[in-house]
Amino acid sequence: MGSVGFWRKELRIGLQDDRAESTWLGRLDARAKLVGILIFVIACAILTAPELVYASLVISLGISAVSSLRPAYLIASYAAALPFILLAAFSVTITVGWDRGALMIARTSACVLALIVLVGTTSSFDLFAGLRRLGVPKVLTTLSLLVQKYIGLLGQELSRMTTARKARGFRGGKSLLDKYALRVISNTAGMVFVRSAGRADRAYEGLKSRGFDGDLVGWRQTRIKSGDLAFLSVLAAVSISLLALQAGLIA
Amino acid sequence: MKVLDIQGLSFAYEDGTVALKDVSLSLEKGDKVAIVGPNGAGKSTLLHLIAGFRTPFSGTVVIDEKRLDEKSADSLRMRIGLLFQDPEDQVFMPTVKEDVAFGPRNLKMDDIDLRIARALSTAGIEGLANRKTHKLSFGMKKRTALAGVLAMDPSLLLLDEPTAGLDPRARADLISLLKEMDKTMLIATHDIEAVAEVADRALVLNIGVVARGTMRELVMDREVFRQAGLEMPPISKLFEVLKVMGYTITELPVSMDQAVCELTKVIEEGGSHTHAHIHEHDHSKASDTHPHTNVNRVHRAR
Amino acid sequence: MHIPDGLMDPSVALVGWVEFAVAISLVLLVSGRKIREQDLPRVAILAAGIFVAQMVNFPIGGGTTGHLIGGALFAIIAGPYMAILGMTVVILIQALMFGDGGITALGLNALNMAVIAPLAGWGVFGLLEPLYASGGRLGRWAAAAAASWASVFIAAAACAGELAVSFAISGGDFGIAPTIAIPAMLAYHAVIAFGEAIITVGILAYLSDVAPKLLSRKSAAEKEGVPSFRGSRIGFSAAAILAVFALILPLYFLYAAEGEDGLEQTMSDAGTGEGSAMFVAPFSYGESYFAALFAGMLGFVIAGLATVAILKTLESKNGEG
Repeated sequence: MGSVGFWRKELRIGLQDDRAESTWLGRLDARAKLVGILIFVIACAILTAPELVYASLVISLGISAVSSLRPAYLIASYAAALPFILLAAFSVTITVGWDRGALMIARTSACVLALIVLVGTTSSFDLFAGLRRLGVPKVLTTLSLLVQKYIGLLGQELSRMTTARKARGFRGGKSLLDKYALRVISNTAGMVFVRSAGRADRAYEGLKSRGFDGDLVGWRQTRIKSGDLAFLSVLAAVSISLLALQAGLIA
Repeated sequence: MKVLDIQGLSFAYEDGTVALKDVSLSLEKGDKVAIVGPNGAGKSTLLHLIAGFRTPFSGTVVIDEKRLDEKSADSLRMRIGLLFQDPEDQVFMPTVKEDVAFGPRNLKMDDIDLRIARALSTAGIEGLANRKTHKLSFGMKKRTALAGVLAMDPSLLLLDEPTAGLDPRARADLISLLKEMDKTMLIATHDIEAVAEVADRALVLNIGVVARGTMRELVMDREVFRQAGLEMPPISKLFEVLKVMGYTITELPVSMDQAVCELTKVIEEGGSHTHAHIHEHDHSKASDTHPHTNVNRVHRAR
Repeated sequence: MHIPDGLMDPSVALVGWVEFAVAISLVLLVSGRKIREQDLPRVAILAAGIFVAQMVNFPIGGGTTGHLIGGALFAIIAGPYMAILGMTVVILIQALMFGDGGITALGLNALNMAVIAPLAGWGVFGLLEPLYASGGRLGRWAAAAAASWASVFIAAAACAGELAVSFAISGGDFGIAPTIAIPAMLAYHAVIAFGEAIITVGILAYLSDVAPKLLSRKSAAEKEGVPSFRGSRIGFSAAAILAVFALILPLYFLYAAEGEDGLEQTMSDAGTGEGSAMFVAPFSYGESYFAALFAGMLGFVIAGLATVAILKTLESKNGEG
């Protein structure tokens, strides 16, 4: 049966940062991307008319296609979101029918793909700085950046410890009730945490030693350019059209 | 003007362990002072305290004639450049250029591009401006962190074990870099050899100040060295052997330059004559960038 | 429990956003001044730890796996305000950077896992801890286990309610049918919650061995600046739990407003053979769910008052003041 396993997502953090800047989408202002894609996702999430839902899926696929993101990346990211989508679709199917189930998959997929494009073409730093400039409270954006940095730290400590553990023959437990395995795992978790706490303090001092005062404002001085506005307007226009059509169809 | 003036500084951690006891030291502009001592001696703590990260403490710390306390810590920190032992703690932004710009941006300085360019060239990494930071080697990361600190134009540089973890080439490069830099600096390290090349004088720290003086004076005091858990640099040991063999050695040298000087004296006293320069670079460059501190050097063209 | 976009009815998602926005604003307002700069790295490393912990899948038999939420753990270590902030950031990062959970659904996800879970966990822990004080460390761990279990279960109940109401209101366009959503969510999470309880206690036990400062006796209450006078700690804990139920309340109003029509619509749709429906949602299910919820809330208030009364009597008996 299952042994306790770990699912590493560090790879995806690496994928994202490497390519972000090189795509044309990557060079757009993060705020424009955030607002534009948000509007589009909201529209997608509200649609119920089948023709419109499938249309929005096609548009989403189109956006993914022009985003110049690697297909492997798109597929891997989509796969991560799949389980819950399938569960929802499954339960919809058995209560109401196949078409509704398929519609559910289409709608959620359209939203997820748009989100993947946003995230894949924007470095996390730009993302949080963009959010801050859009008005998100500074505690949240600063914490987000710190947490993201520390996740990397923890990941390193964790792999070091699991390697050390494996080197001493630990092979995972059989189930949650395997007391010994549980103890080892809790110890690992605790130790990783304690070690990282010290590094976290030092990393923060590292930031402060360079004048960081707790806010991201001002790190990105980019201005909104015509390209950004164009992107934003196109997405907004598409979204509003979809919603208008939906309202028309229902009325 | 004294850039740094510390009097009677004592500091203990929350759980009571004493980290520093009655430390006093001062630096004038342009001084390069080393703090040597074994692990756990409090060197790192001292540097971090000066940077305003450890309060409260007893005694006085005055930076650029302003007193350091909890309230002034944040503003005084802007005049200080603390280089952490682990560059991972400091290098933060995705690219080198952005990371070096981080400090000046936070301090809202102007001419940021100029500052970045200057800092990158001083640290010798102009070519790395657009590289991704997470791909850099340890040595390059250290230089990036250094550039980031220099970009803020601090009046005092605090270097925490700058040569730790560097391979021999990178270490040699960093040492000559620090030697050429015209900045007031305090270097905490247990790499005696590196210090000997860079610093004018040194302090032996082991919670409290055990001894102070020029490196050559300190090396003569074997007892101090031994108690502080420090090792004499190989050069000095060699010349000690020479001394025992009967040659006249007035002061034990600690650096290559000094060693060559002493050796020349010894040889000349023996009747022969030498004239020497040592250059680590070849002669394709027109000007000699090595400051001459001594007339007699061994010359070997590459 | 990370809900993707497009699953929930827009009104439910909106309610989720509104409630979450109110909750986070309150938290920021109340603790804004109390968050000292040096606390940020600690909260951040804790959040990072919870994030990594959430990625661990543990087996629960039968080939399925479950995972940690960590809301109760966070709250027990750092208090409710920091927990809400920290968990919010975890959810935010998961949604924005990994597509784990949608952005229109962020309000609901954050509400369930970053507000309800930590509040419920903290509240239950606060209420149980004094009772177990006599049991020593074992008693504390038992309280922590119960608190973790409750936090997962209650969050799952909230999520189930949101799914059910989405389905009911939209006539099946969104959400999951109550007949499936509620039993499935509750059963699955009731089991997972045990895993959460075990792991939470394991981590707390380890931390108390290695870094007891993090879990000082005076713990969460004092970190909030709230005096650890038993009475008010219990008061706050009870308030936390009531807040949780209050958050679930608007769902009921939504349901009452439009739900019945929606279910009726679904029934007739299924009747006209639109699809190969195998189940038909019974009318009264929705009602009984909320009735149960109300009963629970009422019972909770009564139990809470009774506990306070008992403790006060005990205290005056022992001569403590």
